[in-house]
Amino acid sequence: MSAISLGGGVSWVHECFPETDGHIHVSVYLVEAPEGAILMDSGSFHHRQRLSDRISDATAGRGIGAIVLSHSDYPHSGNIPAFRRDWGDFEIVASCGDADLQGLPYARRTKIGDVTDVLGRRFVVLDPPLADRNHTTWVYDETSRILFVADGFGTLHAPGACDIDWGRIPEDGRAEGVHEFHAQTLPWLRYADPNRVMDALHAMLERHPPAWIAPIHGPPIAEADVDRYMADLSDALTRIAAS
Amino acid sequence: MTVATGRGWRRDVWPGIHWIQECGGHRAGIARSVLESGADWYRPGNELYVPQNAYLLTGERTLLWDTLSPASGHILLPALEELLEGRPLDYLALSHPDVPHAGNTMQVLRRYPDCRLVAPATGETHALYHLDDAMKVGPEDEIDLGGLRVRFPEATFLDAAIHTWMSEETTRTLFTVDWMGFPHQSGESLRRTDEIDTVVDVGRLEEFHSRVMFWFQYVVPEKVTAATDALAVQFAGYGLAPAHGLPIPGADAAPYYERMNQVVRRVAASGRGGVL
Repeated sequence: MSAISLGGGVSWVHECFPETDGHIHVSVYLVEAPEGAILMDSGSFHHRQRLSDRISDATAGRGIGAIVLSHSDYPHSGNIPAFRRDWGDFEIVASCGDADLQGLPYARRTKIGDVTDVLGRRFVVLDPPLADRNHTTWVYDETSRILFVADGFGTLHAPGACDIDWGRIPEDGRAEGVHEFHAQTLPWLRYADPNRVMDALHAMLERHPPAWIAPIHGPPIAEADVDRYMADLSDALTRIAAS
Repeated sequence: MTVATGRGWRRDVWPGIHWIQECGGHRAGIARSVLESGADWYRPGNELYVPQNAYLLTGERTLLWDTLSPASGHILLPALEELLEGRPLDYLALSHPDVPHAGNTMQVLRRYPDCRLVAPATGETHALYHLDDAMKVGPEDEIDLGGLRVRFPEATFLDAAIHTWMSEETTRTLFTVDWMGFPHQSGESLRRTDEIDTVVDVGRLEEFHSRVMFWFQYVVPEKVTAATDALAVQFAGYGLAPAHGLPIPGADAAPYYERMNQVVRRVAASGRGGVL
C-alpha cells in the first residue's frame, strides 16, 4: 500500500520507528495540487528508500513538485537533498528566521499568519501551541480542511497498529500512547499550564475546523474523534505537569 | 559570516576553553523590536546578531562542543585546524541534534575520523539523527580530558528529548546551550559580557527567549523560576557559556538568574516575540 487516502486529495504515507513503549510514526503526507504533488515534510533518512518508492508509486512516477516543511528537525527534513536529486529542484516552503542557519538556503520563507499558495493550493500558516523548535509552523489546507500539525497530536501505538487512524486504535492503551508521546517528545510540557495549552488548541480548532488532524508522529485523527483526542491530551498534559 | 574583529573568528575565553563564533546575518526584525522597546543598549545603524557558538576544550585530550550551523563549515574547520595545531580532535560532543548546533557534524567527523562522537543519553530516537553509534552521556558521566573535566548535567530548559548541557569543573563553566542567549551588536562579537560597554538586561534576554523559548508563553512561571533558582544554587560561581550569546564570567553570573526569572514572567504574560 503506497499511501492511505484521507480525502480532499490528501494521502498519509506512514512510516514507523520502534521505541521501548511502542512505535512512533515518522510519516509524511502527500497533497495533490493543481500544479503537482506537494509533500508535507520529507520524513527521516531512516525511511528514505521506502518513502521514495511509495511516493513514486503514489504519483505514478512523477514525484513531487514541492515540499512544505514544518521545521528543520532532521526526521522532518532529512530527505530533502535526496528527493531533490530524485525529482529535481522542486520548491521548498519553510518557516524560519534565517534559512541559511537551518540549512535551507534555497527555501521560500513563510511566516506565521501567512496564507500561501503552493502549486495552486492555499495553505494558512499557523503558530503551533505544541512544538519543539521555535520556527515550527503548522499549516491548514483550506481545500481539504486538513490541519497538518508536525510534532503536535502524536500518539505512540502498538506494533501492528501502524496503518490505522487514531479512532481505530484499540481504546485500551490509546490514551497512554498520547501521554507517552508528549511526555517524551515535548519535555517543556513539564513546566506548562495545561489549561493555557488546551485553550490555545481549542481556539485554533474553532477557527480552523479540521476534517482531519494530520500529525507526523501519530495516526491521523478524524473530525469525529477530535473531541476524544482532546480529552486524552488534556489528561496527558495534566499528568505531565504534575510529574 | 566571518566575524570582522582583529582576532578573527575565534579566541580563548577561559583557560583551555576556546570560543568559535558564527554571527550569521544582521537581524533587522529583532533590531526594530529592540528600537521600539526603547532599549538603550542598541545603537541604531549597528548590525545586530544572534550568534551560534562552538567551544573547543583542550586539555591533554580535546573536545569540541557543538559545530555551528551548516552555513559555517568554512568558519569552524579552519578554526579547529588552527587551534588544534596538529593535535587530534578526540571528542565531538553535541548538545542536541538541532541544525544550528549540529550542522557540521559530518564534516568534522570526516576531517577527524578517529574522533569519538558524544551524544545525550536522553531520548529514544537516536537512530533518526545518525547518533545510534555515539557514546551516550548523562548526569552520571564525566570525561577526563587531562587538566579539564567535563560533566553532562540534565538540560533544565530544553526543546527536544535528545538534549544535554555540559559543565567543565576545573574552570567552573556551565554550557547552557539555548538558555541564557541574547543578541549582540557590531563591535561586541567575540567579547565576554565583562568586555562590552552595554548592559545585558531583562529586555535583552527577553528578545532572545521570547522567540527561542516560545513555550514560556504557556508555562506556570513559578515552576520555571523554581528550576532557575535551583540552578543558581547548584552552579553558584560558575561562568555561563551559552550557544547564542556572549560568555558570562562566574563572578558576574548571579544576577542573570533573577533576570531570567523576570523574562519568564514577562513572556508568560505577553506571549512570544516571534521566530528566530
